Amino acid sequence: MHVYLPIAEMSASVLVFLGLGAAVGFLSGLFGVGGGFLLTPLLIFLGIPPAVAVGTGAAHIVASSVSGAYTQFQRNNVDVRMGVVMLLGGLVGTYVGVEVVRMLRRAGHFDVAVSLLYVTFLGVIGTLMLIESIKTLRSPATGKPASRRHSGQHNWVDGLPMKMRFTRSKLYISAIPPAIIGMFVGFLAALMGVGGGFVMIPAMIYLLRMPTAVVVGTSLFQIVFVAAFAVLLQAIQNRTVDVVLALLLICGGVLGAQFGSMAGEKLRGDQMRVLLAALVVIVALRMAVDLVVMPAELFSFSGRL
Amino acid sequence: MRLRLAIVACLALATAPPVFAQDAARPPEAVEADVSTRSVSITSSFTGTEIIVFGTVENSRQPSAEAGTYDVVVVVEGTPLPVIVRKKARVGGLWVNAESVRFASFPSYYAIASTRPIDEFAEPEQQRKNEIGFDHIRMVPAGRTYIGPADPRETIEFREAVIRLKERDRLYVMAEHGVIFIGRSLFRATITLPPNVPVGPLTARVMLFKDGALLSSYQSKVTMEREGLERFLHDSAFDRPVLYALTTILLAALAGLAAALAFRRATAT
Repeated sequence: MHVYLPIAEMSASVLVFLGLGAAVGFLSGLFGVGGGFLLTPLLIFLGIPPAVAVGTGAAHIVASSVSGAYTQFQRNNVDVRMGVVMLLGGLVGTYVGVEVVRMLRRAGHFDVAVSLLYVTFLGVIGTLMLIESIKTLRSPATGKPASRRHSGQHNWVDGLPMKMRFTRSKLYISAIPPAIIGMFVGFLAALMGVGGGFVMIPAMIYLLRMPTAVVVGTSLFQIVFVAAFAVLLQAIQNRTVDVVLALLLICGGVLGAQFGSMAGEKLRGDQMRVLLAALVVIVALRMAVDLVVMPAELFSFSGRL
Repeated sequence: MRLRLAIVACLALATAPPVFAQDAARPPEAVEADVSTRSVSITSSFTGTEIIVFGTVENSRQPSAEAGTYDVVVVVEGTPLPVIVRKKARVGGLWVNAESVRFASFPSYYAIASTRPIDEFAEPEQQRKNEIGFDHIRMVPAGRTYIGPADPRETIEFREAVIRLKERDRLYVMAEHGVIFIGRSLFRATITLPPNVPVGPLTARVMLFKDGALLSSYQSKVTMEREGLERFLHDSAFDRPVLYALTTILLAALAGLAAALAFRRATAT
């Protein structure tokens, strides 16, 4: 069964895209990640124009993060104040990101820019994760993650002005670092079609030293709104949100995610981390190959713009 | 059409030398044709379609369908659109788009069917004049916007690339024996519109050749429009992007919430 995608302007197999949504949803449920970093490259491999893949990916992130954010909010694991500060930065970052997408598309460099960003981020993060998770796997006795919060230790973050009290996180810090983190994540959401949890969560833990309990909830809270804003701007500025494609991916995705999280409960965490890291590295390598190896077809053309 | 035929016939009679009077008395051949569908609708279930171009050679002197007295060329063309063609080059180890050439117009779709390979019956000059064959597709380079070293041979390379890419996407199609005579005068050709066909009006041209000369031609329009839900969604995205985006966000959020609630209920029971 096929359906015509109104924005991608192609006929697509319903089963393929439902299946893709389900597979990515399963992995995101299994590993507890957003899945945007897998979805966007896979959509591109399947022939969806990169800009449409990124724009539609943002809609998928709204769906996949809203359920997590809702659950975390009910468990009181969201630092709303922190989330709003990050969100304000995120909106600015998204706006800038969407403008950059428009400029890059006009210049014909968007496809390469997306690949480069993916290769860089996934390559670095995947490799770091892989090294760390293999170490943990090899020495299960000492494999406990080191204590992340060193109370009494100061870093440059403490010297910044505009201090705010974040009750839920038990922090009294400047609003500037969270806003900048949010801004950066918004920028990535616009350019890469990802939620940016892979950047935000480490930054919140190591830079802001937020308690781990509220990190996931707060980042999901922020991602929902940033992704929604990205959908809005991409639709207005670039006309790259395909609602039919988004619904196919979301329907598959929300179901897949539930099965994924069920499966995740039965697997060992440290083994799963190795798998996830390997997956991230594979996606990065696959995109790197396309950038470095001489393409079979040097020419491309675009009609609009 | 009738009137023109009549005039042509009269002229032929008037100017023909008396020796050939008998031959000239036979009215000249002309082509009459039509398209099976005058409008193609792109709906949500659109997976490509076929249109049949059929016609007849009036006053055919062909003894049988297989005689090959006449050659018929059918060309179905899409709307001419501006195109930017980019060529990748290695920059710092990475393959990035470097040079680009703009064409002010390039048909979005071009299908050609003929009774036999066009080179066998039409001279290059004839092909060029009638814009038949991939080498003679009308393309207009956008003069000043050309970027890169100003070498016209380079433009040819870019032009050929568009044709190659369009052929790969089955948007430029050539069927060298695609026109079939069914009787002495009746012929037909099937033109396939792939699922990725760019939406816009099509022009169908039918040309009748004999001994390398164009005897008669016919032209018709086929409209192609989005219909139903597909049209509604596309128009919304372009005319009311804010509403379109908000609806998409709402649907996405509802789907996510519904899944979260349904799942919780499932685990609770």
